[in-house]
Amino acid sequence: MNKINKIQGDLQKFAYNIQHNRYISAISNGLTAILPIIMIGAISSLLNSMNVAPYQDFLKSTGIKQYLSIPGSVTTDFIALYAVVAIAYKLAESFDIEGFTPGILALMSFLILTPLGNTKEIGNYLPTNWTGATGLFVAILVGLCVTRLYVYIVNKGWTIKMPDGVPETVTKSFVALLPGFVIAFIMLILRVIFAYTPFGNVHSFIFKIVQLPLQNIGSTWAAMVIGILAIQLLWFFGIHGTLAIGVSIIKPIWLALDLQNLQLFQAGMRGTNIVGWSFYMAFINLGGAGAMLGLAFVLLRAKSKRYRTLGKLALAPALCCINEPLIFGLPVVMNPTFFIPFLVAPVVIGLLAYFLISIGILPTVTGITVPLGTPVILSGFIVGGWRSALYQVVATIISGLIYWPFFRIVDNQAYEEEKLATQQK
Amino acid sequence: MKKITLICAAGMSTSLMVTKMKEAAKKLGMEVEIRATSESKFKQYENDTDILLLGPQVGFLLNKYKQTYEPKGIKVEVIDSIDYGMMNGEKVLKNALGIQSM
Repeated sequence: MNKINKIQGDLQKFAYNIQHNRYISAISNGLTAILPIIMIGAISSLLNSMNVAPYQDFLKSTGIKQYLSIPGSVTTDFIALYAVVAIAYKLAESFDIEGFTPGILALMSFLILTPLGNTKEIGNYLPTNWTGATGLFVAILVGLCVTRLYVYIVNKGWTIKMPDGVPETVTKSFVALLPGFVIAFIMLILRVIFAYTPFGNVHSFIFKIVQLPLQNIGSTWAAMVIGILAIQLLWFFGIHGTLAIGVSIIKPIWLALDLQNLQLFQAGMRGTNIVGWSFYMAFINLGGAGAMLGLAFVLLRAKSKRYRTLGKLALAPALCCINEPLIFGLPVVMNPTFFIPFLVAPVVIGLLAYFLISIGILPTVTGITVPLGTPVILSGFIVGGWRSALYQVVATIISGLIYWPFFRIVDNQAYEEEKLATQQK
Repeated sequence: MKKITLICAAGMSTSLMVTKMKEAAKKLGMEVEIRATSESKFKQYENDTDILLLGPQVGFLLNKYKQTYEPKGIKVEVIDSIDYGMMNGEKVLKNALGIQSM
């Protein structure tokens, strides 16, 4: 028992350190903050491309279609711009510094590093090849670096000080002046240096050296299994694994894969990435970590009163992928009986979904990440249409079957205890 | 009136708990204000909280919150995991207010 307590303590420290590393939480908080932008783009492309002929005819004949595509393209195609501001802002907040100035300086820096296009007719323009999903990692790095630099310079006191009596708004903008120039200068130098490398620019370099390899690893089934197991293991010890490593470490990579799918979807094609955050949320996190929706249904048929009550209590939240009543009520946490199904069930349904997508029975997800709390079946329908929704039902049954024999053990025990208790009365 | 704030990752499962606690408070005739929020948004309630309860899944944050908020006079506790799972609003409420179970 002591050993287990030690493991739990170590894991808690580990989860705490990841969760409270200010750079990691700036990335995950920043990406969470732009969720509305991602959703607006996703839903508008869903509305724009729903494949029902009369509906499409209506959109085209009324001329609505060309306007309906605007929210999609200005959100998804420019997602890196939103991300760079949000991440810089969130990091600044963690230093107790107002985030607005670092946020817009980061945006400027991102634009300095991004090659502009130029034609005679329209002059300079911002091409979208590095501002969408492909620019996401540069956005993350620039967001973090610019804020860190800004904080460093401001803390050193290298700012222009205005005499007393000058309005605060003016003072504030002068504080930002010197750091702004320093940051712009550094970014410009970076731009020049990379122009002389074979990569041509920072984007191309980061994409090929960092983002692409990470994505290639992240999109494999093996990475998916490792990700699931890590999340489940933390949950088993009572730690919010989805938050501690899911959202913090895995999500940035998986989100980039989702956004690529979304860009293709907007262009009228199906995405090529099978795994992603959207995939995880829709096909694995069914009823919360551990795919526990099936178990909630099993509980409704429990012999013991205790678990039937818990089942009634847990079913509605589980349909919205909230599973704390089950995790702590059964409990699953630190309960050796549930160790195996809790790790196996999400892996099995995840691998099955992966397989069915790769042979074309299920469509790849569109890349739309449904907000946490979206009911099962609806979430499946949003991410991939009716077949994906149907898979959620199938996967729920499968996970229920995996949990069932293990649940019977604790249920029988509880039933015997209840019988004994009534006899004693 | 005592003000209780519950936090977890997204403020979702704690909001279920809050509903149950409010029912319990009504039954017991207690005047309390109870709310749930996500861990990252607690800051905005820090001046409006007497008792801070952490969902067990974010129990690993206990030390940090104790260090930050106990000097400000906020009582910080982790909710018992079985009570949390069974959504035992009455017990969690009583424990939080330091009332001995009757």
